[in-house]
Amino acid sequence: MTDSPPIFLERTESGGVLRLAGDWRLARLASLDRLLSGFEWPKGGALTLDGSGLARLDGTGVMLLRNHLQAAGFPWQQIGLTGFAEDQLGLVRLVAERLDVPALPEPMQPGLLARLGHRVSRLAGRLPNIIGFLGWLGESLFDLVRRPAGFRARETFVQLENVGLRALPIVALMTFLIGVVFAYLLGIQIEKYGANIFIVDGVSMAMARELSPLLVAILMAGRSGAAFTAQIGAMKVTEEIDAITTLGLSPMQVLVVPRLIAIVIAMPLLTFFGDIVGIAGSAVIASSQLDITFVTFVTRLKDVLPVDMVVYGLYKAPVFAAAIAFIACRNGFAVSRDARSVGDKTTSTVVSSLVAVILINAMFAILHPEL
Amino acid sequence: MSVLEVDGVYTQLAGQLLHDGVNFRVNKGEVVALIGGSGTGKTVLLRECVGLLRTSGGSIRLLGEDIWSLSPQALNQVRQRFGMLFQEGALFSSLTVAENIAAPLREHLKLPASLQNEVIALNIRLAGLPLDAAAKRPSELSGGMKKRAALARALALQPEMLFLDEPTSGLDPISAREFDRLLRTLCDSLGLTALLTTHDLDTLWGMVDRVVVLHGGKVIADGPVADVAKVDHPWIQSYFSAQALSRGTS
Repeated sequence: MTDSPPIFLERTESGGVLRLAGDWRLARLASLDRLLSGFEWPKGGALTLDGSGLARLDGTGVMLLRNHLQAAGFPWQQIGLTGFAEDQLGLVRLVAERLDVPALPEPMQPGLLARLGHRVSRLAGRLPNIIGFLGWLGESLFDLVRRPAGFRARETFVQLENVGLRALPIVALMTFLIGVVFAYLLGIQIEKYGANIFIVDGVSMAMARELSPLLVAILMAGRSGAAFTAQIGAMKVTEEIDAITTLGLSPMQVLVVPRLIAIVIAMPLLTFFGDIVGIAGSAVIASSQLDITFVTFVTRLKDVLPVDMVVYGLYKAPVFAAAIAFIACRNGFAVSRDARSVGDKTTSTVVSSLVAVILINAMFAILHPEL
Repeated sequence: MSVLEVDGVYTQLAGQLLHDGVNFRVNKGEVVALIGGSGTGKTVLLRECVGLLRTSGGSIRLLGEDIWSLSPQALNQVRQRFGMLFQEGALFSSLTVAENIAAPLREHLKLPASLQNEVIALNIRLAGLPLDAAAKRPSELSGGMKKRAALARALALQPEMLFLDEPTSGLDPISAREFDRLLRTLCDSLGLTALLTTHDLDTLWGMVDRVVVLHGGKVIADGPVADVAKVDHPWIQSYFSAQALSRGTS
């Protein structure tokens, strides 16, 4: 039986008999497909399928025969069946019946312009959502001012601990190392001119004005922003946010406002902490490489670092913080109920808030050219 | 001929003895239901049968192979010969229905694209879905359609056996009966053997050949539904009378 070809046409005066043999199963589908594609079908007439030689048959085998016969101009309904076992007949009938639906038209591939338009309209479609979220947040904050009893102290303090207190070690490490590296590289240059003492001017201004606020903001975008989106997104997936609403609470008051307030409070504090640790890092380098003692360093610092500049760095921080919290929480609420969505939105939070921080920083620089 | 032989399986999970010598077998072409109260380890037993969880003792022979003595490669070979329908469907949420069905096909067979699409369409139709469901994502499907899409994926490799974990849970009674009918048709026509866990009494009475009752870590009854319903055991009696009560009051 294995010697006989899988399909063999026996011509009769009224048409022909197709004798099937061997395995007609998924494992051999590709080779059977090639065989049938090159098969010489009879021209017209009635066809009968003889399944008496079949060893094994599965649904895909029936499908293959049906589709090829259909394409060759033999509607399945007009094909006689003979020699099939009882269970095979059931299979053949089921497959033929289920496949007897009009095929879908091939989906049109949209052109480049159409795809561009689609994407733009989808992005634009998000805008009302963002504005709506902003309005909702504004309303909740206004509510809070009118009715301060609604302030959720416990949630806010939990968040303050998470975004503020627990971030201290990593902020210290990062700003200290940047202070060290910055002072070291600057020191190599100014030593050539014998202008060692100016290390204090350079490092303190750079730290207070740009480095510490930006570093802390970037750190917060990655650390707290991602956490906000993932926490709120996971709650969205498990319908906890809907549960909050049906319990008569506002998800905005319970989830977003405490996070927003916590990060807005924590960020300037962390930035100031970063200022101090960063400058301390450069003081270490100044004393070991440039022969500037700590006392000299601090005395000089008092003279050259205007308070304005420190304040300027600190008042950027809450704005960064608000932008990060807004982007992160909105992305959290935008999570849909599937596994990939949480990851996608978290990534999007980190990227968007980094871009937002850099843009806001640039705006501040333009608004305050005098500093 | 037995397709599945569960022999003296015992399972210890978190220090607790869950199965204490479970024995039963499933013959070719049979549809067998595993029932038992919550926490009796029906799902655990099902997961042990498909090689997701290791038993603490005893043997499970599936399709003629002792699955816990096989090498990982050989176990994966066996895995191509059965399908599993998870309770929540477990469709890959980032893929469309067609891509979900294509996943096992692409992994195990090298089919030309057009032929693969034909096989996908066949499975979609066998599971009773309209062809336009192919391009949808799982999140766009209703509960019943999700189960059908998951069934289509389980059928993709033309398995000899199906494992189903609570196939009708979460479906409304009409969809549940339709799903039962679909399963029965598929099992009869494709010559499939099926082992399912269920809490659905209508499924038991409607489509199952045999019922295996798990209680206290042992099989306490094994036979056609009508016979099992008559067994004089407190748990079985309260199980089947729960239905009588609900029928009586409605």
